[in-house]
Amino acid sequence: MAVFKINVNGQAHSVEAEPDMPILWVLRDLIGLTGTKYGCGIGECGACSVLVDGEDARGCQVAISDVGNKKITTIEGLSKDGSHPLQKAWIEHDVPQCGYCQAGHIMSAAALLHKTPNPTDAQIEEALGSHICRCGTYVRIREAVKAAAGSAR
Amino acid sequence: MSLVEDSRIGGLEDSGKETAKGAKSAKALTRRSFLGLIGGVGASFALGSFTTLASASQPEFGPASAGAAGDPFEPNAYLRIDPDGICTITVAKSDMGQGIRTTFAMLVAEELDADWSKVRVTQAPGDRNTFGGEGTGGSSSTRTKHAMLRDIGATARAMLVAAAAKKWGVSPSECKTESGKVIGPKGQVLTYGQLTALAKSIPVPSGVPTKDKSQFKIIGTAKSRLDNHDYATGKPIYAQDISVPGAVHAVCLRSPAFRGSVAKVDDSAARKIPGVLDVIPMGDKIAVIGTNTWAALKGRDALQATWNNPTEDVSTQTLHDALAKAVGDHLPMPESAKVIDATFDLPYLAHATMEPLNAVADVREDRCEIWVGSQGPDSVQQSAARATGLPIDKVVVHNMLLGGGFGRKSGGDYPAEAVDLSKRLKKPVKLWWTRECDMQHDTYRPMSHHSLKGAVDSSGNPVGWSHQMMQAPSWARDDSWGGPGIWYAIPGAKMKQGGADTPVPTGAWRSVENTQINVVNECFIDELAHAAGKDPFEFRRNLIWDDRLKKVLETAAEKAGWGTPLPAGSGRGIACFNGYGSCIAHVVEVTVKGNDVKVDRCVAVIDVGTAVNPKGVEAQVQGAFMDGVATALKAGITIEKGGAVQSNWDTYPWARMADAPAKMEVYVMDSGADFGGMGEVGYPSSVPAIANAIFAATGKRVRKFPCKIEELV
Repeated sequence: MAVFKINVNGQAHSVEAEPDMPILWVLRDLIGLTGTKYGCGIGECGACSVLVDGEDARGCQVAISDVGNKKITTIEGLSKDGSHPLQKAWIEHDVPQCGYCQAGHIMSAAALLHKTPNPTDAQIEEALGSHICRCGTYVRIREAVKAAAGSAR
Repeated sequence: MSLVEDSRIGGLEDSGKETAKGAKSAKALTRRSFLGLIGGVGASFALGSFTTLASASQPEFGPASAGAAGDPFEPNAYLRIDPDGICTITVAKSDMGQGIRTTFAMLVAEELDADWSKVRVTQAPGDRNTFGGEGTGGSSSTRTKHAMLRDIGATARAMLVAAAAKKWGVSPSECKTESGKVIGPKGQVLTYGQLTALAKSIPVPSGVPTKDKSQFKIIGTAKSRLDNHDYATGKPIYAQDISVPGAVHAVCLRSPAFRGSVAKVDDSAARKIPGVLDVIPMGDKIAVIGTNTWAALKGRDALQATWNNPTEDVSTQTLHDALAKAVGDHLPMPESAKVIDATFDLPYLAHATMEPLNAVADVREDRCEIWVGSQGPDSVQQSAARATGLPIDKVVVHNMLLGGGFGRKSGGDYPAEAVDLSKRLKKPVKLWWTRECDMQHDTYRPMSHHSLKGAVDSSGNPVGWSHQMMQAPSWARDDSWGGPGIWYAIPGAKMKQGGADTPVPTGAWRSVENTQINVVNECFIDELAHAAGKDPFEFRRNLIWDDRLKKVLETAAEKAGWGTPLPAGSGRGIACFNGYGSCIAHVVEVTVKGNDVKVDRCVAVIDVGTAVNPKGVEAQVQGAFMDGVATALKAGITIEKGGAVQSNWDTYPWARMADAPAKMEVYVMDSGADFGGMGEVGYPSSVPAIANAIFAATGKRVRKFPCKIEELV
């Protein structure tokens, strides 16, 4: 066990953890931020996606010892009140069904829009193509990302 | 006609009867029965009134009541109107993505003439005494509950009107309601919130009429889900999101084979992992308890276990051989007819809900509290009472949101396991089934082998149809010839079912036996059309006897431009389904390039009778079609050494964004028929439409799923 100081959603946290503990479990079990979801544990589904210094990352694949001073952003920190253009578009387009994968999709889409404010269909597919939505909401996810890109313009 | 709806869906044994019961109780909202439900509310709130230690209890969605002073109007267990006008509707069916919370709220709000912006939903706990059977499946929720929910709204509205009329000294018949307000003959206005105290004193009327369809203002309009904001902001809404002080975390290492048991376990390395608290062999599994999930997972990986496996010889091949052997003689085909035959093979399918199975349980000496996403929370409550020996009213089941269900979460195995562990450890337990546990110990859609024979006469009319469906295990009540489950008038058409023993556990998977029967039938009717030299759409249309189904099929063909040319390498397929009170047809376009199939376009036309929320219907059809893409082209569970081979998304490939067609068009038709079901309906014709499109593109028939182009002959 070691003590790690990490920054999550702009807040400093000090947690005692095994160095190899993935940030998925640090967030959920140690800090109590449960918006980041466990889906597969092997980086295959994207449900645990968070931003690490603005980059799209799979929470189940990043050990806490690798975080250092990098800033983690989770779905809870994307906006204070659900007002991020992606969150608004998600609500507007009624994207979620069971909702479980949606935070991961939104976080990866946020990383995409940060770098590529006006993504093409191909770029959206590249950024989100490795996620799984078991309810099959892909058509609406594509629409929502495009709408968010439009409104952010 | 419709296929037998399977009674295996947990908690749904009474779904047929529930219609009558719901209608009866709704019709008979006498003072006694209507207020009788208040007793239920009191009881259920008393239940929940012991101090819950968790961070969240029942999920609630929509605008919060400010808790204004004054009495709420709470006519029964399902409805509460607060003095600030917030209408809270309690939903006693599970939401696993189908949006039933919003649908139910719309049904009550319509008859109540509620202000939709003030409608809020709360999820009912598992509580059969108050809410009756809460089992959710078989596309039954709207079909069995709409009458009761509408009556609740209409009766409450009548009481609010009577309250206002009393205050104004006018006749109730001189008043009208609109968007949460009663309006008097002189234009006086009282909001529902202002009337709550008075409404409580009004005698409960009986036999209040519900609206004619032409008066609907909310039903039939596209409404956004009331819980959208929670999904988009990461609110703690699933069972595992709740925080229970003092909880330990548990995962299990399970037998690699379905009927295996622990032979020997060396847990010395596991116990050395920091954070591992305990290792508990439990017969067919070994639980590892940790201070956090990661510790438990590492402990699990460090276990050295050997297993007894009494079914080591069982594999997909041995099961296939047994099923093929179970096929008997076909019905005789008319002489001089052109006879065709085919066999189809479908694999086991895992539900693989996005949220792996999990539950949280806190068993104490005098009570038990459970947080779970379950399709049968009332059954969870009853099982937990039995397992703990506690009276039923000391067991509280918080039914959280389900991160997908598809039938799997009708099972009671995962909450029972959490209860068992909490009872042993005398601590709250947060149990995860890892994705591997979830996928390798599912209750799978059964593997099946189908043998079909069909015949057409010299004019191209079908004159024979014989279908033998053998699955592992058989779900058939007997092995006699029965209805064929087709939508077409074919003389003498019959199907028989049978199967073979298997150690593989099976259960309901979105649309249950229709995942097999309709898929195969709609592929084979296409083959029969081809043998008759007829267009597959026209062939179907001429044989369909159900007018609603014929209409959706015709509309799908029209919207899709059936018969218009496609580029070489592309093809168009059609299929339809009639069940759960609804009808659907799919037309799909695919392009086959090398061994890759790309679904280019999907046109789906659905008639759910009266659609409560067309936006929700569209979502269900879109989602179910992606299940079709995944299971037609990608996913299947195979068996080796008595266990499942696939264990995670890397080996059970599901549809991803690139697999979604660029164009997915859903047309919701309103036939005016009664409220039909939805959740199951979108799947059964999706797969055969894709398979038939592959035939149109390649000239080769898909006879084995998931389809591999390189294997087609």
